[in-house]
Amino acid sequence: MLTRITGGDIIDPASSRRGVGDLWIADGRIVDPPAGGHADTTVDASGCIVMAGAIDIHSHIGGGNVNTARLLLPEQHAAHAPRPTATPLSNAGWSTFETGCLYAKMGFTTVVEPAMSPGSALHTHLELADIPIIDKATLAILGNDDFLLSMIRDGASEAMIDDYVGWTVGATRALGVKVINAGAAAAFKENVRTFSLDDVVPWYGVSSRKIVKTLQASVERLGIPHPLHVHCNNLGAAGAADTAAATIAAAEGVPLHLAHLQFYGYGTEGKRKFSSAAARLAEVVNSTPEVTIDIGQVMFGQTVTVSSDVMRQFTARGTASPKKFVIHDGDGNGGGIVPYRYRGDFYGAVQWAVGLELFLLISDPWRVFFTTDHPNGAPFTAYPQLFQLLMDREARNEAAASLPKSALATSALMSIDREYTFEEIAVMTRAAPARLLGLSDRGHLGAGAIADVAVYRKDADVAKMFGRAAYVFKDGDLVVKDGEITHYRWGRALRLNPAPDKAMVRRLEDYHQQHYGLSLDWFTFPDSAIQRENPFGEVACRS
Amino acid sequence: MAVAWIGNRETLVERAAEHAARLLESSRCPVFSFDTDIHGTRAAIALAEKVGGAYDHVDGAGLARETEFFTGRGGMTVAPGEARRRADVVAIVGELPSEHHDLVRELARTAPDLSATEARHLFLIGDGKPGASGLPAASKATRLSCDQAGLAATLAALRAAVAGRQVAKSVSNFQRFAKALEIARFPVFLFSGHGADGLALEMLQGLVADLNRKSRASSVHLPASESGWGSSLASAWMTGFPMRCGFARGVPEFDPWRLDVARMLGAGEADLHVRIAASADRLPPRRSGTRLVALVKTATPVGGAAITIAVGVPGIDHDSVAYCARTGTLRAAAATAASEMPSAALALGMIASHLGGVRTPC
Repeated sequence: MLTRITGGDIIDPASSRRGVGDLWIADGRIVDPPAGGHADTTVDASGCIVMAGAIDIHSHIGGGNVNTARLLLPEQHAAHAPRPTATPLSNAGWSTFETGCLYAKMGFTTVVEPAMSPGSALHTHLELADIPIIDKATLAILGNDDFLLSMIRDGASEAMIDDYVGWTVGATRALGVKVINAGAAAAFKENVRTFSLDDVVPWYGVSSRKIVKTLQASVERLGIPHPLHVHCNNLGAAGAADTAAATIAAAEGVPLHLAHLQFYGYGTEGKRKFSSAAARLAEVVNSTPEVTIDIGQVMFGQTVTVSSDVMRQFTARGTASPKKFVIHDGDGNGGGIVPYRYRGDFYGAVQWAVGLELFLLISDPWRVFFTTDHPNGAPFTAYPQLFQLLMDREARNEAAASLPKSALATSALMSIDREYTFEEIAVMTRAAPARLLGLSDRGHLGAGAIADVAVYRKDADVAKMFGRAAYVFKDGDLVVKDGEITHYRWGRALRLNPAPDKAMVRRLEDYHQQHYGLSLDWFTFPDSAIQRENPFGEVACRS
Repeated sequence: MAVAWIGNRETLVERAAEHAARLLESSRCPVFSFDTDIHGTRAAIALAEKVGGAYDHVDGAGLARETEFFTGRGGMTVAPGEARRRADVVAIVGELPSEHHDLVRELARTAPDLSATEARHLFLIGDGKPGASGLPAASKATRLSCDQAGLAATLAALRAAVAGRQVAKSVSNFQRFAKALEIARFPVFLFSGHGADGLALEMLQGLVADLNRKSRASSVHLPASESGWGSSLASAWMTGFPMRCGFARGVPEFDPWRLDVARMLGAGEADLHVRIAASADRLPPRRSGTRLVALVKTATPVGGAAITIAVGVPGIDHDSVAYCARTGTLRAAAATAASEMPSAALALGMIASHLGGVRTPC
């Protein structure tokens, strides 16, 4: 089966390709133009932009905390407009099924759920397996679990730490490792209410910094392609910019990824002691090449914050709107679910401006990633509007016009002229995420890449253009046409598969028997538990 | 062994599945009640979506109270494993389902290892029988009760007393509880919708919230039904809603009163009942004329059923994935006595394959 996408404006930064041309697909892969080849199917992409399928590196799309948010907030999706019928579970609101469909319609073909509790890995993967069309991946959370903290406290060897991290990644079918407010969830169980980078976890006597550095080094030694994914301390607090800057400085030449930097871009200036510190943070990022970040942009409206930063969520419970929440102390991190409405008031406007400033002031699109930290800053369905704000200064000005001037005065946003180009968008949402995650088979349109292709009809209204792709191909299958799903298929969860160390498995077995009265196999699962054909796709570690 | 019947007549599973599909197609108001694992639930919900049916757990009442705990106001919970390791005070709220009694006994037998206080003090809230909480007879649990006032009133009085407010009826042994709280690092309350009504759960979470103002405390949710809570989780991710959900209007709707399947059957609203469980015991009363499709483990046709399909029991006849209160999440379990009986998921998928529309996701 040979497919030819013809006449489109091809934008592929990975190969520096830009210009009108053809793209050929055979057997689910991009191929070189066949000599004298005759396409079985030709798709006319004239007047369109052709990019690789987009990759979202940080979106909370499945797992225990996301599902608890669904339980907490049935009213959030009860009012969803009816959607086309005659599709399986087509009318579900905030469901796994809708998640896959809505992402695909925007041209996204791979999405990373960034916060999987290792003990709930099966639950997470069952949800991900029910998300159609797109490929998925997850990051395993470490850094608040007793086993790791005890090892650090007891001066375990690097090899032993690596064996544990490697076992966790392999057993949970993760693509990488995330640390969330390192040590704070454990400290919260000891009634500690604030926790910063150099604070020490009671009982263990190890600092947050030590946990981050331990995991960062282990991820690097194990050859896990994605650098340690860090959710810093003090999220959302005035003055958190100092914490983020200190964490960036702690990278010390070794790759580190900071998640949703917007939520740390706050200074303490002004009469409300809350201001934008984005310019300063952007400068720090610009001068620290080993660091990558994603934004976590805030967009106005109702959402729900879903985070394994249980200490932060506990603190935020008073802001819940509507007034209900769930705070869960887990075996490691746990989580907090707090519904929230971002309003265009002073604080909301500062947050909105901080995100955009970071996008626009961090100069290298290979190191800044496009996220709203769905659903924390905004649902991912707000992406088209966010593309518009990045690519159109007038749209930014128009949006800012209704916001409090006192909030914008704390920010440099209105003085920034930069508008993202299509090439930069393609880097930020395709080529760079693939590189960051170690996914060499996607994020580009070179021969051999899997045929994940998004075709957008050019339109001055960027939000409209990115909101409804003209065509989307997943693994060479046409799945979206004119913004509507045309074909359902099941993607895979991309995972690393480091070989487990047998001694570590025995040690973990003993640990679970001793401390939980249960065998280790209560916490692990075979692939067959997912009950879907080929649920996983393996990604190699760096050798 | 025959594995399917149309009425009392033995038939092939394929033929029974096709016949069930025809019944579902012609049904005005099909309802599903089930007690099965995650994959059985996924298949049942997918089938309900195809035919516009409503679905519920076979013991939906306790689960509905627990669901309301989440949808109504939320609260603070802790993983069972963390409770085992940290809880220096364990207070059991009312009666707990017997499937959790092993955990209770284990908590009574062990001491916290992640706590400076190396002992665990046990309390029993309400007037329930000690055996109904799972506590061994020899355990030294202290009763906190409020003179037959009921569980909700006892919790309300306990909350008020902890806050230093006056109460009309005092709580027995309150001073002992207050003293334990004074030195406790991580008190934990065990609760279930099985033995606590909505008001009791609200009072409990109010007490937990009050304690967390200055110190730490939490609660362990021990579901009225483990399989039922697993089904609620699967329902939430598949439709956005917990159980007592339906597709009659083409979109998923959640209504804990209207879509109470036992109520729908009793009121004669449903004309077809699909039952998926280990057995056909405890079928809810249904009006005459309401047909029954039973997917149960049986060697004989279910009395009064239009169609019976014999299916295996998850975790026994075939591998399963189900909610596990010991770990507080889903667990994969291998079959303990593998058999050739089809799983409910397989049988439901066969029924769905005879219906039109897009292939279901399960």
